[in-house]
Formats: sequence, structure tokens, C-alpha cells
Amino acid sequence: MKFEVYQIIVPLASLGFVFNLFRRFLKSKASWQEAVLGATFWLSVGVFALFPDTISKAIADFFGIKSNINAIIFFCLGIIFFFQYKLFFMLKKNQMATTELARKITLQQAEKEDLQS
Amino acid sequence: MTSPEQIWVIIPAYNEGPVIEQVVSKVIATGFPHVLVIDDGSKDDTARQARNAGARVLSHPINRGAGAAAQTGLAYARRRGWPYVVQIDADGQHHPEDIHRLVAAQVKTDADIVLGSRFLSPSPGIPPTRIFYNRISNILTNTFCKRSYSDTQTGFRMLNHRAIRNLRLRLDGFGYCSEMIVQAEEKGLIIAEAPIQVTYTDYSLNKGQDLLMGITTAIDLLWKLLFYPSKMK
Repeated sequence: MKFEVYQIIVPLASLGFVFNLFRRFLKSKASWQEAVLGATFWLSVGVFALFPDTISKAIADFFGIKSNINAIIFFCLGIIFFFQYKLFFMLKKNQMATTELARKITLQQAEKEDLQS
Repeated sequence: MTSPEQIWVIIPAYNEGPVIEQVVSKVIATGFPHVLVIDDGSKDDTARQARNAGARVLSHPINRGAGAAAQTGLAYARRRGWPYVVQIDADGQHHPEDIHRLVAAQVKTDADIVLGSRFLSPSPGIPPTRIFYNRISNILTNTFCKRSYSDTQTGFRMLNHRAIRNLRLRLDGFGYCSEMIVQAEEKGLIIAEAPIQVTYTDYSLNKGQDLLMGITTAIDLLWKLLFYPSKMK
């Protein structure tokens, strides 16, 4: 079995990301859900890079798609959608935190003014 | 009977320098001396103008949206133990004398929230696009409500102490109008409606929601209702 360069780089990079996630989890910087989800994603990317033909054929067969290329596009769209969802969720969370902070500052200032008057 | 002394009129405002002084003065001249303006991080002199007109002003350090400003007003009302608040728009489209109508409806029905409806006795001159946007918003909001309301997007509302104490709005944008109604029903609060009049000027039409804003608001609301129903409670 002949390996291309990317088939060595991508799995190594994936392992690096998994290791980094594990480290973040141990330092309580990531929740276990985040660690499991992230590790599953990066391991999938690594395995996919190692066996691209076998996996794309399996995905194509599973979804009843005739061409391997279509299966890859379909799979990638799913991943993009997933990340879009995650980004939107993070954005909303940050917006809520910013609003809470702005409100706290405003109410603290109001309290000070009320005490002075 | 509710006296004007017991009522605080809350006005969320963003860059309303050209009109806010007039709006606050009109409210005070109508017999409601307590006015709180929530300056939502305006870049102009909204806060100064409102203060000059006799309002108490709280200022957000940055712009966070109409819903965020309304919730800050309610949070302050809770801290101060105010029994009633009336919220009106800062662009001058509402007639402060209609506050009496909301008060009368609240006394008659003992409602926790009274919505000032633009469509129970429609004013002439409401632009067709506004009527269309509001119909769509009504359909969307009423789908998630037990009752049906004629004007779910109105910025003219009266809340009593039960509503002030119980509501926790989380949507920063205009979606808070619907969120307040859905959440109030979830918490068992009573909602009534009273007819109000509105006057749209070029200024107020420019300040209101456009189609893009309406779509964003709808997505925001749907996102919360479908994926985080517990956060609407």
C-alpha cells in the first residue's frame, strides 16, 4: 500500500489536535462533551486521510450515492453545517455574556448615582 | 386606582438625540413625572437631551439592542421596587396620553401586562409594509402562544409588579417583544390589550425594523423557541 504525503501529515496533525484537546480537558479548560466531540471529529479526519477510497465508497454505499466524489461533497457539507451551528451557538453565547456585562456595569453605575443623590 | 406617581415610563433609546427631549417632555406634560431613559450606547447626545428634559438616564456602555435595553429597565425597576412600568418607543410614534388607556385596561382586567395595540382601532397612516411585517410577526408569535394577540410587536406596554418581578428577557434585539409574551404565558401572567394610536413620521419609519431586521429577529426568536425552550421560561 503506497502512502501519499498528506496521508502522513493529516493523521499526525489530527493526533496533535486530539492530544491538545486531552490536555485542555485535564486542565479543565474543555468539558468532557467538548473533548469527546472534538476527539471523534479529529480521529475521523485522520482515519479518512489514511483510507480515503475505502471510506468514501462506504459513505456512498451507505447513503445510496453512486459516485465517491458526491459522497465526499455530501460529507463535507454536513461538517460545514455542523461547524456553522457551533459558531452560531458560540456567537449567541458571547452576545449574551456581553449584554450581561453591559447591564451589570450600567446598574452598578446607576446604584452609585442613586447613593450620591 | 393606579396613580401616575406609581408609574415609571421606561424609554429604551438608541441615537434618538433629535427627538428624545420632545418625547420625554410630552410624557411629563401628560402627567407622568417619572421617566427612565435607557440610553443603549448612543453615539449622539441622547443621554444629555433626555436628562435636560427631566428623565432619569441609565446608559449602556455599548449598543446591545432594544431587548437588552428593555431588560435593563426591568432589572432596575425590580431593584427599585417599582409597582408599575409603562414602556414606550423613543422615536415619538406613540402618544403618551394613551398611557391612561393602558392604565384603565389594567385596572379593569387586573392584567399583569397590557399591550398597547395599534390594530384594535387602527390609526390612519400606518404604512402597508408595517402592517405586512406585523401580520407575519403576529402569526409567528401567536403560533407559540395559548391566546392570539392583535399586536405582538408593539413597543407600548404596561407591566405590573408581578410581571416586573417574573420576566427575564434574554433576546437582545426586537425579538424581545414576542419573547415577553411567550414567557409571560409560560409563567401564568395575565395579558390584556388596549387600543393605542400611532403617528408615523419619516423619522420613526427610518428608525423601525426593516425586512432584513425582521428576518434576523424571526430567526433569533425561532432559534430560542425551538432549541432552547427552557430559556424562554
